[in-house]
Amino acid sequence: MLIDDEDLFHLVFEDACSILDITLSLEALNSSDEADKLFKSWFPDDPNHERPECVFVDLNIIGSSFNGIEMVDKINHEYGNGCVIGIISSSDDHQEIEKAKKAGAQFWIIKSDDIEPRLEEFKNDYDGYVNKTNPFKIYK
Amino acid sequence: MVEVTEHTRNVLLEVAKKRKIYVEGSFLKILKAPKGDKEFEDYLALCKEKDIAVRKKRLEVTKQFQSQNKDLVAKQEENDSLMKDLQIALEEAKLSEQEAEKLRDDAVEDLELMQKKTQFELISTIVKVALYVIIGVGILTTVMYGLALFSGADTQIIGSTWSNMFGILLTNAFSIVGTIMGVKYATEKD
Repeated sequence: MLIDDEDLFHLVFEDACSILDITLSLEALNSSDEADKLFKSWFPDDPNHERPECVFVDLNIIGSSFNGIEMVDKINHEYGNGCVIGIISSSDDHQEIEKAKKAGAQFWIIKSDDIEPRLEEFKNDYDGYVNKTNPFKIYK
Repeated sequence: MVEVTEHTRNVLLEVAKKRKIYVEGSFLKILKAPKGDKEFEDYLALCKEKDIAVRKKRLEVTKQFQSQNKDLVAKQEENDSLMKDLQIALEEAKLSEQEAEKLRDDAVEDLELMQKKTQFELISTIVKVALYVIIGVGILTTVMYGLALFSGADTQIIGSTWSNMFGILLTNAFSIVGTIMGVKYATEKD
């Protein structure tokens, strides 16, 4: 799942993930409110509902009630976690990264025109995130 | 993974050969060739190759579009910022104009006041001089009349002249004193 307010990035991300064979299907949402609704409906009423395996959240989601870090925090602490989750942002602000870490983000991917190498590196580390053995990592 | 049936396999291969239509998208990733079916394995590999080529092309175009969009957004922000600066500059210019107008009005007022003061001072001087002349003439005529009286000379002409002149001088003196008071009052008020 990708939560990002920029529609063009949805296309870029979907194609990049598909080319790198990272995703089988991608659900791209424009706001954290939409994602919140989905997670709310899955938890606690339907905790066994098939959740996305991995959630990429944009840091600043324009037009949403809460930002990416708050979304990560909600998914981790209110909706029972159960998925690999991290931030994808063009920012590399140290304070924000620390906040994301505290909220339970497992990775931070820096958005740029050339995102494929970072996604490929992320793909290689993915199993470690699933097993929770990988430490927090920034993909620059 | 979905292993295709023989019928589906044949249809897919035929469509690819005759119409150059290939399976694409996420569905392609879950298709599996029957074991040992080299032809269908090659077909799936070709499908994947074509799918990746199409996605790469689309990705490039999307990236270009995204980059142009970013530039446009940046330029729009720059324009907005310039417009804001322009608006501030216009407001400042308007304020300066108002200030300049006020200063000009004050200067004109001061100038008018100075001119008035100068005029009043001039009038006052003229009137004072006139008053001194009147008093002087009055004193002179009185002295001459007094001398004539004491010396025993004929005072008929000088007497009537003195009385006429004194009457005229008094009338004029009152008028002049009135003018002086008026000028003083006007000057003090300004």
